[in-house]
Amino acid sequence: MKFALNPLTAKKLRRFRAIRRGYASFLVLAVLIALSLIAELLVNSRALVVRHDGRWHFPTYGGILPGNDFGLDYSYETNYRELRDRIAAEPERSGRGDFVLLPPVPYNPLENCYPGEFYRPRPPTSTERHYLGTDQLNRDVVARLVYGFRNALIFSGSFIALTYLIGVSLGCAMGYFGGWIDLLGQRLIEIWSLVPFLFVVIIVASIVSAHGGMSLGWLLGIVVLFSWTGITYYMRSNTYREKTRDYVAAAQVLGASTPRIIFRHVLPNVLSTLVTFAPFTVASAISALTALDFLGYGLPPPTPSWGELLRQGTSNLKAPWIVSSAFSALVVVLLLVTFIGEAVREAFDPKKFTTYQ
Amino acid sequence: MKLPRLISMLVLGTAAAMVAGCGKKDSATGAAGATASHPTEGPMAAELAATLESESDFYIFKTAADLPEGLKWEDGSDLPEFANPDAKKGGTLNYFIQDFPRTLRTVGPDATGGIRQYFWDFVAMYPAHEHPNFPGRVFPGYAREWAADPASRTIYYRIDEEARWSDGAPITTADVVFSLYYYRSTHIVGPWYNDFHKKTWERLTIYDEHVFALTMNELRPDFLVRCSEGFYLFPKHAMADFGPDYVQRYQWRILPTTAAYTLTDSDVRKGESVTFHRVQDWWARDKRFWRGRYNPDRLRFNVIRDIDKAYESFVRGDLDFFLPMTAVPKYWYESLPDNHPDVAAGYIHKTRFFNRIPQPDWGLWMNRSKPLLDNREVRLGIQHAGNFKLVAEQYYRGDAVQMQTRSDGYSWRMHPTITSRPFNPVKAREHFAAAGFTQQGPDGILRNAAGRKLSFTLSTYRPDIRDIMSILKSEAAKAGLELNLEVLDQSTGWKNVQEKNHEIALIALGRTPELFPRYWDFYHGANAYQDAYLAPDGSFVEKSAHGTPNPNPTRVRVQTNNMTQTFIPELDRIIEAYDQTQTLEELKPLAEQIEQMIHDDATWVPGWSLPFYRLAYWRWVGWPDDFNVMLSMYSHQYFLFWIDTEAKEETQAARRRGEKFTPTIQTFDQFKEP
Repeated sequence: MKFALNPLTAKKLRRFRAIRRGYASFLVLAVLIALSLIAELLVNSRALVVRHDGRWHFPTYGGILPGNDFGLDYSYETNYRELRDRIAAEPERSGRGDFVLLPPVPYNPLENCYPGEFYRPRPPTSTERHYLGTDQLNRDVVARLVYGFRNALIFSGSFIALTYLIGVSLGCAMGYFGGWIDLLGQRLIEIWSLVPFLFVVIIVASIVSAHGGMSLGWLLGIVVLFSWTGITYYMRSNTYREKTRDYVAAAQVLGASTPRIIFRHVLPNVLSTLVTFAPFTVASAISALTALDFLGYGLPPPTPSWGELLRQGTSNLKAPWIVSSAFSALVVVLLLVTFIGEAVREAFDPKKFTTYQ
Repeated sequence: MKLPRLISMLVLGTAAAMVAGCGKKDSATGAAGATASHPTEGPMAAELAATLESESDFYIFKTAADLPEGLKWEDGSDLPEFANPDAKKGGTLNYFIQDFPRTLRTVGPDATGGIRQYFWDFVAMYPAHEHPNFPGRVFPGYAREWAADPASRTIYYRIDEEARWSDGAPITTADVVFSLYYYRSTHIVGPWYNDFHKKTWERLTIYDEHVFALTMNELRPDFLVRCSEGFYLFPKHAMADFGPDYVQRYQWRILPTTAAYTLTDSDVRKGESVTFHRVQDWWARDKRFWRGRYNPDRLRFNVIRDIDKAYESFVRGDLDFFLPMTAVPKYWYESLPDNHPDVAAGYIHKTRFFNRIPQPDWGLWMNRSKPLLDNREVRLGIQHAGNFKLVAEQYYRGDAVQMQTRSDGYSWRMHPTITSRPFNPVKAREHFAAAGFTQQGPDGILRNAAGRKLSFTLSTYRPDIRDIMSILKSEAAKAGLELNLEVLDQSTGWKNVQEKNHEIALIALGRTPELFPRYWDFYHGANAYQDAYLAPDGSFVEKSAHGTPNPNPTRVRVQTNNMTQTFIPELDRIIEAYDQTQTLEELKPLAEQIEQMIHDDATWVPGWSLPFYRLAYWRWVGWPDDFNVMLSMYSHQYFLFWIDTEAKEETQAARRRGEKFTPTIQTFDQFKEP
């Protein structure tokens, strides 16, 4: 909040809003993120509302409701599409006011949407509400995309938080303290950043998988481990520059502690670098996750992910709806993020009237 | 030839195993090629002489006069041929390999690769070969005739006087002696071969230049085949420099071969392609059982790493046939459906052939040494929670069959009545309830009174079946069972199950056509624990009542195929007796008992098998009238096909003009198991 009240920051935000392409991208992405957070209400096999025997059920969130609850002869999770058809087929039930209200896309990303039929990709149909068709395991592509998007967001959000936490702390420390810390840190980072990222991730991923299984957390840890170095360079040089400014000297003279100087005085002044890098970091996190999933070293099946959809698509070129959906989604999101990034960079650029040629 | 165990296990249904490519730098070392200029100097002669002297009780030299009286010589002439003698010779077969071989050696590090089958496994000669339509019978290879003497566990072979190496040198018993010396030598860096050839043979007896006898250490019902197909020959005259540096020195050396195909250095384009050519005037080309086979003049294999790309190459006409269609329904039904223009016009033919061989034993292998899985009720529940019916009917579109026992696909049934337990969530839940799992959590997964979730890790080392794992996971959830999937790459995953770290594994081991199954490797307690027998009072017993060295159940034995960690002393006793049997009549009742006990113990959920192969080929590839033979694992294994160059021109011209032929989509089920 404090930053927002700062007149300089407010000015930057106004400039950001004035850059229409970036601002529009931001709004679209914000809407997409908001929708993905309530994806259970939009794309889900669980009904939104069920009225059965005069009782109301809201199955979307919470534990599963077994079929027995609705008079079905199984104790695993109710198939609400079947329940809807059953109620529709029994006039006395619908007459009593029983009904099932399903989300717009009534499928979850893991289920076989065509039980009793062969597993093969099926083209998009709006009558069955498979708006982007199904994949080779008869799973709805929209559902896989939406939940895959959410996983990618969780991944990239955590990724940015963690890499910046490590990168900013170390970068600032090196820049502020200088001397041996700087020298040693720089050499270590140089060595570390020369490790070929993808190969090491693949090797580490295969070892981790063999000892307890891969999860989003593990994957995040591995990728972060090899990605925090980039930001340290910028933070180090910026801190180095800011350190020599008069306001830092003034703070020192006033007796401020080192952490206070770094976090309250230096950091806010180098923050614009971070902000301009953030969207591009998000883009690279999404790409990394997709690449790993594509190669089969990412999240364990059957977790929905874009990389997995892309891989299915490239091996099922006769089913173009799979590869084109995943590819378009990836392009759109990366494009939005990049537009936002460009706009942020421009908004935070102190030289307002420079034009990039 | 029996491959080293680990490798043969990994190289399952797929046509080719993967080995990495290589650089260009070593091409000079192969300069000797198939020409007559073989090295004459080297350590081999002296070492061989020393070995023959120090192992004089193994390599025995006698004279022709010492041959026992009354031997009954046979030459398989009562068996029918299986190739089409009218097959057209000539033309070039164009096909692909997924990776360029790392070596042209056939034995030693990196040798078990996708291409070795074309210069060794599919083409090299034994003294006699199992007849692919009459399991247990053999037909002549480089031996003209043989005489079996089961009483002394010995078979006498007489090498055909016409038998020649590809460079023209005659095949003699000196090559047999050298070959056994070779396989038993540590220079080859092939511990599996060392071990196998030390354990298998009691002795080798040489009578003259053409007659030798192999004596085996044990007599089994398939004695004749086991002995005859023991090893391929190596040419003594071309390997004078065989020695400690063998692995490096022979990396790209092209050796004279007993086979119909060979290579020269110019045929090997490193990283790109390998082209074999037919041996000029191959000595066996008109022999019974060999005529009508090995018909193309050249076999050209281009490296295409991606199977989808290879498929595109095939439909363009660059490859003559496309084989990896069996395990992946996509190519057969989606990419190349029966109404595909080239199929409907009769340019591309599609054929499905039912063979009868033991298939890879796909199924859920439960590790009994893990918590909960030691409980038989839990295992029974899992038996009813594995929906392989769905996999067979809807993933494989009804082409796969559900396995019933461990040993489906042998030419006779080990147990007449056992069937696998059907998928049934209600029954599964009953068994889980009997094991204490009575509460259903909010996620639909069962829990016991202590709050332990009924959840296991399901691992595999076959990334290509990840879809099947996803199907099993969602079906198991209906029974209240959670399976967390773990898809590992081949080497990591293989290590995982061999070190018995898995809970449940969805895997299969490849099996070569054999007369009867192996149980010792998979179910004997000695392969589960280092020390498995304790007296009733808990004290340590040196040996089981039947002589098996005693393990102690606390120490898991790793690197064995007992991946269910089964240890049942009663079962061990029967398996030991089974391994002592000499005839099928003795063996059958024991196999039945073993199958019953394995079924009752419920550690293995029978999966699916594909008792056929299917392929697509261009119209110019010819096949015998009955297409192929019963024991063939792959359609090109016995080289019964031919390339009809006239038909190729005709087809290509017709395709340009849009003329059509009768579409050919056929199924051969003469060997289908009833």
